[in-house]
Amino acid sequence: MSNGLWTEKARAQLRGLLWSRETQKVKHVVLGRNLSDGLLAKLILYFLLSIVAYLYLQPLLYMISTMFKNMSDLLDPTVKWIPRQITWENLSKAYEGLRYPAALRNTAMIAVSCSVAQVMICAMTGYALARLAVPFKGLITAFVILTFLIPPQIIIIPLYVIFSKLSLLNTIFVFLVPAIFGQGLKGALFILIFRQFFNAQPQSLEEAAKLDGASTFRLFFGIMLPLARSACLVVFLFSFIWYWNMYYEPSMFLAKGFTPLSIRLDNLEDVLNPSLLGHTDSVRNPVTESTKMAGAFLIILPPILIFMFLQRWFVTGIERTGVVE
Amino acid sequence: MSKLNAYKRQARLYHSQRYGIGMLFMLPWLIGFGVFVAIPVGWSLFMSFHKVSVVPGGFKYVWLGWQNYRDAFVKDNVFPIELITYFEQMLLMVPIIVIFALLISLMLNQRFPGRFLYRALFFLPVIFATGQVLTELFNQGAGDIPFLDQYNLEPIVREYIGAEFAKTVMNVLGIVILILWYSGVQILIFIAGFQTISASIYEAVRIDGASPWDSFWKITLPACVPFISLNMLYTIIDLFTFPLNPVLKHVKDNMFKIDTGYGYASALAWIYFAFIFVLIALVLWLFERSMKTRRART
Repeated sequence: MSNGLWTEKARAQLRGLLWSRETQKVKHVVLGRNLSDGLLAKLILYFLLSIVAYLYLQPLLYMISTMFKNMSDLLDPTVKWIPRQITWENLSKAYEGLRYPAALRNTAMIAVSCSVAQVMICAMTGYALARLAVPFKGLITAFVILTFLIPPQIIIIPLYVIFSKLSLLNTIFVFLVPAIFGQGLKGALFILIFRQFFNAQPQSLEEAAKLDGASTFRLFFGIMLPLARSACLVVFLFSFIWYWNMYYEPSMFLAKGFTPLSIRLDNLEDVLNPSLLGHTDSVRNPVTESTKMAGAFLIILPPILIFMFLQRWFVTGIERTGVVE
Repeated sequence: MSKLNAYKRQARLYHSQRYGIGMLFMLPWLIGFGVFVAIPVGWSLFMSFHKVSVVPGGFKYVWLGWQNYRDAFVKDNVFPIELITYFEQMLLMVPIIVIFALLISLMLNQRFPGRFLYRALFFLPVIFATGQVLTELFNQGAGDIPFLDQYNLEPIVREYIGAEFAKTVMNVLGIVILILWYSGVQILIFIAGFQTISASIYEAVRIDGASPWDSFWKITLPACVPFISLNMLYTIIDLFTFPLNPVLKHVKDNMFKIDTGYGYASALAWIYFAFIFVLIALVLWLFERSMKTRRART
């Protein structure tokens, strides 16, 4: 009986405590007024994101850890993440095997020149589709979308013949010429991004410029293109990354000498182990694993550095361009 | 009368001038489309109906009709299996990627210190989730999640969904992180999509007493439907040329075989294209319908 009375009292006291001003304040700090601004919610958020990020980046961590392992560490199952002895030998071997400086120059040349061409041409095409009078505009837009869907595997052989007729094979122009003519890597996507961006700009701007007597070219290069700076950055970076990593097309069009990093990574095994030439897949040599990881790291290092510098503008750029909608 | 004619002429001149400038802007793309898309596409379609053999100085075509397409299903004992398997995998991979991207972007969209760091982190794989680096990582088995082996999931999966589909599921789970790496662009699209929902709507429903849970289901998700469909389309197209894709490898192998050659390889590529095209059309149709019913209700 008295026991029941005691709980009753405690409960009342607890209730008073819960509703007091101080507790409310603590509650607001811990749980938040909203779902997201409380301390607890934030802790959970950090926790979840960190776990997912760890899983997400695990292959990358694997790459970096394997890169520094020497042979005995690699074969020792007790060494998982941190090698007993950090070796730089793999990096130097990969550096030589890829013939890094030359390959880097090739890759950078392709990526930069094609991306610049993509930005210019896709902006022009997107602007025409958004704002200028073009006959059969709907049909052309449909074709633009369709080019995005056509897999490269379907047209690679005819393209090969065309490029060889134009004697462009094994040169940078295999990629630059299509880019200049608006058919670069994922060019359709970029055209749609620019079209979206220009569509979202206020019409009055152009009308004002036209009343002042500006020609369409002045209008485009003087006003619209500078306005589209963030869209240009987004397109440039995407294009750069995709050209940098492209593998299939170079493997068809670039056979000798002028090869980008991705092709050389593929050939690294043969370079390291000439005796195994011809034995693909079936004979996987664990000994070269570290070196190949080092090679892969050397390939992704430059774009990661660029991205680190530009990512803030890049992400906000995407948010502002209305890439979507 | 002559005045009318003159007026007409002037109008035509005006229009041709307007069209002229537009065409000038479009010209590079139109030329490129003709040379680097239309001709190759037509040509490869033409080749797919022929037996193509390489002779000195060019190609030799022998008309086969639908033979190549029939052979792909009847004679080839690898292609149909790989096509169906990859298709099954894709049906699993697309929702995984889109839902993962949605969850991550929801979390990244919250305000908290250091979210720029996390955003950068989740976008990082876009930089190298293509081509050779990915293939290399896959070959070395870096893409599986650790607890998969620890708990020996395979018998459990097999028990629940049958041996037939279990293989597909296990295949997908085996490279699940590499698949998740394909969600970088989708995360960005979702984050950008959230910016288009105005904050005042959330304010309004909060005053009306809606919980965050309610506002997610009633506002965020419906506003996201177009972005979900966009992301699904993007994912399908992206997976279509996934570097670990067995179908494309088969196509490439057949290109350089003497007894099959370009004609047969083109036919295979066209069949593959047709399958994906149907999938894309299906997604478009479904979302078009859901949008319509939603519009009809409001």
